[in-house]
Amino acid sequence: MVELKGYGYAYPGTEDPILRDVDLRIGAGECHCLTGATGSGKTTLALALKGLLGAGTQTGGIRFAAASGGADPTVGLVLQNPETQLFATSVGEEVAFALENRGVAPEQMVAKVRVALQAVGLDVPLDARVSSLSMGQKYRVLIASVLVMEPGLLILDEPAAQLDSRGLDELRLVLHGLAREGTALLLCEHRSQAFQGLVDSYWHLDGHGRLQRGEADPLTPSPSAERAASRQRPALARAEAVRSESLAAGAGFDTPLWAGASFALEAGQRILVQGPNGAGKTTLLRMLAGLDAPREGELRVLGRKPSLKTLRGRIGFLFQNPQRQLFEDRVIDEVAFALKRRGVSAEERRARVAAILEQCGILDLSQRSPHTLSFGQKHLVALASVLVSDPELLLLDDPFAGLDAHCRNAAWRALMDWRGHSTKTLVWTSHHTGDGPVTADVLLTVEGGRIACRLLRK
Amino acid sequence: MPVGYFGNSFRDQRDGRSARTPSASRLPVWASLGLSLLLACLAVALRAPWTLAALAGVNLLYLVLCRVGCGLLRKAMRGLVWQTAILLGLHCLRFGAEGVYPALRVSSQLFLAFLPGMIFLASTGRSELVRLASGVLPPTGAFVLGASLHFVPLLVREVKGIYHAQVLRGARILPIDIFKPWCWPDWVGCLIVPSTVQALAMAGEIAMAARARDFGACRHRTCWPGNALRPDPEREP
Repeated sequence: MVELKGYGYAYPGTEDPILRDVDLRIGAGECHCLTGATGSGKTTLALALKGLLGAGTQTGGIRFAAASGGADPTVGLVLQNPETQLFATSVGEEVAFALENRGVAPEQMVAKVRVALQAVGLDVPLDARVSSLSMGQKYRVLIASVLVMEPGLLILDEPAAQLDSRGLDELRLVLHGLAREGTALLLCEHRSQAFQGLVDSYWHLDGHGRLQRGEADPLTPSPSAERAASRQRPALARAEAVRSESLAAGAGFDTPLWAGASFALEAGQRILVQGPNGAGKTTLLRMLAGLDAPREGELRVLGRKPSLKTLRGRIGFLFQNPQRQLFEDRVIDEVAFALKRRGVSAEERRARVAAILEQCGILDLSQRSPHTLSFGQKHLVALASVLVSDPELLLLDDPFAGLDAHCRNAAWRALMDWRGHSTKTLVWTSHHTGDGPVTADVLLTVEGGRIACRLLRK
Repeated sequence: MPVGYFGNSFRDQRDGRSARTPSASRLPVWASLGLSLLLACLAVALRAPWTLAALAGVNLLYLVLCRVGCGLLRKAMRGLVWQTAILLGLHCLRFGAEGVYPALRVSSQLFLAFLPGMIFLASTGRSELVRLASGVLPPTGAFVLGASLHFVPLLVREVKGIYHAQVLRGARILPIDIFKPWCWPDWVGCLIVPSTVQALAMAGEIAMAARARDFGACRHRTCWPGNALRPDPEREP
């Protein structure tokens, strides 16, 4: 189907190639998984196969086997963020986007769109709102919108990052079906284990642009991180951090997102909020931070009714994609910002910033611009900038999404160090089951309009 | 592969609400655009209270014809209340009690000038907008216009996210801080700069996603048939 021979690529303005001497052959119906740290060149390789790399230095070559009509087979590419790839309001219009771009007659579009939707198992009206679909369904719409081009090779960039367990199960079924029908698949994925059983070959980009044979890596936090966590767990958890009575979320006249949530969380606990996409995990976190008001019920956070005014300076919140909040020219200034605003002296600021950067394993980056760092490094800078103010309650919204194993472990270690000798409360969300129960004290499960609270450890 | 084999088909959506696209207007798109422009122009030209009241009635009729839900009207009314309060305050400050009538009139005119455009945008799908714009713009320009409108809510969400993150980090950008000149650097550094960077990054991602689906491959783009597909709702099961 496609063969790369000695392929290399360097972005304009850089002499160091991001890909070097890459040899890869993907046959029809095969599924290959490409792993590697963030910034190692996985997306670059995907863009190269799709022919979307701009000016830069290319070496070696990419050769496509001719399709039945004699032309090169089409390459379909689904990028990482579904939100910036959904152009239309209705499902039919979204799937037909590529057909519009190819100048296909409108009367031929409907049949092609229906075939593509059937291939991904989506039974929705063509005028259904894209925004009303679950994340898993949206992802399948995106795959359908690429399948409509009848690609010989389908490339998915980080498909597991956005999907919950159900969405992943659905995607696996779709990909199995496509591989059976002869479509070649290339998955660029940190969570390589998510597609075990489907993948024929694993490949690993080593961070220096070289492609090597790889294998599925484990998903759970490393045993050493877990051992460190157990060692540093405080002996007792005491004061009440959060109390919720019959809490409900949701705006307007719609059915509440969830309701009847009553739970109490103690200071010093590690709380994992788990549930599928769209269940209301982020909404719960936003309520705890005082950003959204409850629809019903009573909520006390750190002994007060939560609001920006009452909790400012006492809580830390790391949003999804926290890299977007970075704005200073140097990492050291970025991390020091919160302390500067609190009037902490320059000397103390320097000491605290150095300590937190070391804790996060990024002390060597202190003089670099945050904007030139890799995705994972930016994530760690954002985490350091929240941890440095030593909040009483730390809220993390899907903090490990899109992070490679190295950055995930570094972030986790930094969090455990931060909590180690204190009664700081940590709340984090995840849509992947199995990501955290081993390390959490309390599990809040948000599903089906309810929140269930389970104590995992005393 | 059987259709809907995942068992999470469209009708199983949360709370069972209908989730069809909004473009069910009883008016053709060109007529809706013409009417919204006319109503907006009339709002600027008319001044007498009874004419403005009549114009408000016509706007309501337009809203019903476009089958736009009450949510839009609720949002617009909330804006009207704030706008009227600000205008009343400023006029009374400058003219005293004599400023009340002009303030109410200007507020109503502004509201009625923007309402038809809001109704038009809420009732018109992207493909219809693009089709309409294709008449006067090249296909690429028409697509860019449609995509820009489509991604505005996403950008607003992103900016809100940045705002909240920065406030919690201690940035002095609460509404009250706008009146403190020494806080203005925070507005620029913590909100405007990251929001601009985010907007540019988003634009890059959107352009890449469009090219990945062959945007720009063909000079003559066609357009999804849109409402021509819509079955008669009364005949639907």
